[in-house]
Amino acid sequence: MGKRVVAPDTKIVEELVRLGSNMARAPNLVKAPDELNLEITPHRTAYQIDKVRLLHYAGSGDIRHRTPIVIAYALINRYHILDIHPAKSWVRNLLDQGYDVYMVDWGTPTNMDRYLNFDDYVNTYLDSCIEHVCDASSTEAVTLQGYCTGGTIATVYAALHPERVRNFVATAPVVDGWRDTTVISNLSKHVEVDKLVETVGNMPPEFMYYCFSVLKPFEQGIEKYINFFRNIDNERFVDNFLRVEKWLSDTPPIPGELFREWIKNIYQENLLVQNRMRVGDDPVDLRAIRMPVFTQVAVGDHLVSPECSMPLHYAVSSTEKLLRLYPTGHVGMIASGLSQKMVLPELGSWLSKKSD
Amino acid sequence: MAQAEDPKEYYKHLSLFWTDLLYLMSNKPQAISSTGPLRTMTANAKKVSSELIEMNEKMMDFGRYLTEYYQQLGETWTEAQKKVDLKAPDLPQDPEHLEAYKRIWIDIFDNDFTELFDSKKFGKNYGELVSRELDLARHWNNITDVVLKSANLPNRQEMDEVYRELHLLRRRVAKLEAASRRKARDGQKGSGA
Repeated sequence: MGKRVVAPDTKIVEELVRLGSNMARAPNLVKAPDELNLEITPHRTAYQIDKVRLLHYAGSGDIRHRTPIVIAYALINRYHILDIHPAKSWVRNLLDQGYDVYMVDWGTPTNMDRYLNFDDYVNTYLDSCIEHVCDASSTEAVTLQGYCTGGTIATVYAALHPERVRNFVATAPVVDGWRDTTVISNLSKHVEVDKLVETVGNMPPEFMYYCFSVLKPFEQGIEKYINFFRNIDNERFVDNFLRVEKWLSDTPPIPGELFREWIKNIYQENLLVQNRMRVGDDPVDLRAIRMPVFTQVAVGDHLVSPECSMPLHYAVSSTEKLLRLYPTGHVGMIASGLSQKMVLPELGSWLSKKSD
Repeated sequence: MAQAEDPKEYYKHLSLFWTDLLYLMSNKPQAISSTGPLRTMTANAKKVSSELIEMNEKMMDFGRYLTEYYQQLGETWTEAQKKVDLKAPDLPQDPEHLEAYKRIWIDIFDNDFTELFDSKKFGKNYGELVSRELDLARHWNNITDVVLKSANLPNRQEMDEVYRELHLLRRRVAKLEAASRRKARDGQKGSGA
């Protein structure tokens, strides 16, 4: 007796053929990621210390708010995500709202930088950048925004140098490692970080890529690429996809000592939120943060869970503080239509009364 | 010495015995060439061979944790596929069903794998796996150090010392610069400029 053969629906076959054809046509239709320029808004290097650069963006209109904004970008990937696309640029939006915008680019650490730690990043690099901005704009204090791990560095800075921070904006900051429900938190708790740093020095990008690969592995690893090839004729979709992909695949190493302190103080011992962390010779007390604080959290954040960021709102002493949860993800909060329509207008409006 | 019960220990002893003995036998004639790489060749050979032996042991440990790693992934895959089969027993026959099937598959697999990656069992094994890999890297570093030393080149430890010194110097310069800027600014304020 012969086996019954079920012929697949012709539409499925057509779909597969179309996908195959799109894959074959892709190289002729789209740029290679390497050919894409991620520098959207014109800027100049206003200041440089070691490998750290302070970028100053050129706005198209007048500066209507006296207090400049300094953005401390994260240590993972690069600052381009905040200016990834003309229609989704965080930086351009703030410029259009009349703010003077600076960005800290932490650069690419080499083996020579393996001993850089929190003290260097907070008390030397970020402090020098903010000092430069204050001098250049003749102000005593700035609006400091920190994103992701940059949010943690900015938090420590705001606690240690409150006189330099007029307003503090924490965007998905990593603050409470024990409450973090992401896979990264679990892996961090089981890694022998001393041995890791002593053996490899700086944390190589490949280690970071592994950590990212275990976050929503099938959606991120399979589905998004299928969608890319399906939409290969959609110029806007493809351009945006490739820009984000290029940004995702470009992460600098993290200085070994900084990584060691990070894992121990934030994820393993959770010292920051308990006001028990020390940076340099100083204890970091989040209660010393008294300036206005705006904590921005994404409900669907799979890199820094909302539970990890929100405790900042309750730990500071500020009387004027705002916690907002947005229905988006880690990247969606800073580089999407939603960020342009909701997150940035709210931020601009909150800052406007405190920036003159 | 009686033959050890563990063949691995026996061969380790055998290898060390002969490298040690050869070193003792050949030490004096080699002292004549006191500047070239031959001077320390046998000592280096001994160091390299012990590192390789230990590396071999660590490799077995590494293999054990790697097997466990893939076993956990494999088991999770099987369980997730079972759940997909229960929820969507029929293979999709048209694009709409294919899309729905794909959604179910991705959701279940993402959930199950996230649960695995978030588990203590996975975290512990992952930690051990990384630790064993670092052991291997350390042995490799030690072997490289022997080679670098024999060629009169700085090894990892010496380079780390240089990096540390540079780091401290850079930090001192940065703090001096900051103090000098503050002094200049205070001076300007004091003079009413």
